[in-house]
Amino acid sequence: MTVLFAIAIVLAAVSSLGVVLSRQTIYSALSLVLTVGMLAVLFLLLNAQFLFAVQLIIYAGAVMVLFIFIVALLSPDAEDRPTLDLRAVIGILGVVVVTGLVFVAARNGITYNTNGFHAVAVGGASNPYHTFSFPPDAVNNAGNVQTVAGQLFTNYLLPFEITSMLLLVAAIGAVYLTRRSSQ
Amino acid sequence: MIGPDDLWWVLLIKCGVLVVFLLTAFAYLTLAERKISARIQLRYGPNRVGPFGMLQPAADGLKLFFKENVAPAQRDKVLYLVGPSLAGGAALLAYAVIPWGTNNWFGHEFHWDIAHVNVGLLFILGITSLGVYSLFLGGFASNSKYSLLGGLRSSAQLISYEMAVSFALIGVVILSGSLDLEKIVGSQQGLWFIVLQPLAFILYFTAAFAETNRLPFDLPEAETELIAGYHTEYSAMRFGLYFLGEYINMVTVCSIATALFLGGWLPLLPFHPFDWIPGPIWFLGKVGVLLFVMIWVRWTLPRLRYDRLMNFGWKVLLPLGLINIVITGAVVALRA
Repeated sequence: MTVLFAIAIVLAAVSSLGVVLSRQTIYSALSLVLTVGMLAVLFLLLNAQFLFAVQLIIYAGAVMVLFIFIVALLSPDAEDRPTLDLRAVIGILGVVVVTGLVFVAARNGITYNTNGFHAVAVGGASNPYHTFSFPPDAVNNAGNVQTVAGQLFTNYLLPFEITSMLLLVAAIGAVYLTRRSSQ
Repeated sequence: MIGPDDLWWVLLIKCGVLVVFLLTAFAYLTLAERKISARIQLRYGPNRVGPFGMLQPAADGLKLFFKENVAPAQRDKVLYLVGPSLAGGAALLAYAVIPWGTNNWFGHEFHWDIAHVNVGLLFILGITSLGVYSLFLGGFASNSKYSLLGGLRSSAQLISYEMAVSFALIGVVILSGSLDLEKIVGSQQGLWFIVLQPLAFILYFTAAFAETNRLPFDLPEAETELIAGYHTEYSAMRFGLYFLGEYINMVTVCSIATALFLGGWLPLLPFHPFDWIPGPIWFLGKVGVLLFVMIWVRWTLPRLRYDRLMNFGWKVLLPLGLINIVITGAVVALRA
């Protein structure tokens, strides 16, 4: 398990570097596919089988296929390899700082215990609005999909419906924009 | 309690058996395809190698292994190899969660599948959606017009028909209330879902032809237009891997159709002598019948034009799938 985790982590990190550093656009896009796939593997190792499948179907299977489709159709030329100028240095510094902050937050802010995931405020006092009690065993007994659906269609119904409306609007907008005016 | 499914060597044996089965199925499907096509066209088909040509697949396999690998000089060297490897790998991987039956041996429950995933159906959809990369990368990396066109067609076609496939499956999921393939089969005890969901079965099986790039939907490799489409520039065993992927995908989609609509390993009628035949035999028998239908259709129907294929997917299969979901959902909700 730990070995798989390490492999997935390393591959995800290397492939996300590949997204930025590849000179060929198609290699960037394919690296992104690998990153997405490795994130899916991480979800699987965390017992979130539903998220694993959705990640593969939506991101790797649909979104990225369209990306690559476009890249291959337009076949852009090779880009210059990014040079190490001031902007790059600032960017790398930013990445390091954000990674460090996330690491510290993960160490202190969000703790994991046998009762499930508890988001505890950094000060120590637990915040009642951020307490999730979904221990992996209980989730797997009830079924991954059932647990997600139960939350989605009760506690988070309004955000869910609003998101679906947004997606519908986006789809209609895309269809409208691609239609040539038929005068 | 530690069941046989938890022992590592049981798992290893299962993997070995499955791989050998799939490779044999691939070999003899090619023979079946040639034999059936020959009968349909009033020919004999291969009948020289071994009795009734039974050793023909072995001869073909040897030929593929020992042929020279001819590759275009201007290819993309890495992606050119990734394409066929993905084709074979994704096809084999998807079969890991398909259950052939359950047995109770020595007080232990034994499952005839490699991985028991409680979202098995979604797992299969996820892995098969990765299969498009193999076709597309092969077409792209070959650096040839025909290959690229075949690759582009395949990605457009697979994305379109993936929707139709998923929509057709949702009706079954509503009825059985689970994405676990074993539970779906279990809930068909007494009445197979093909009776309750005939429209979904027809939609799924039609879209499955497009998913496996078979005639009448084999636009990515249409010989008369594209020579051989995405695998024009592949030869020897690299071509063999694409070939293998296509035939194992056929087995996979027929297995899914069997598990979801034809009652999986359940016998035809739930009493003697039908239930004397073990479950896996029933399962493989049903898969065999569906495979025969796929071959039969290939040698009967002509190929669709590309725009008609797209129209058919988006304007016929998809709306019918939606209607099926609405009706199934309404009936289930009213009966509850």
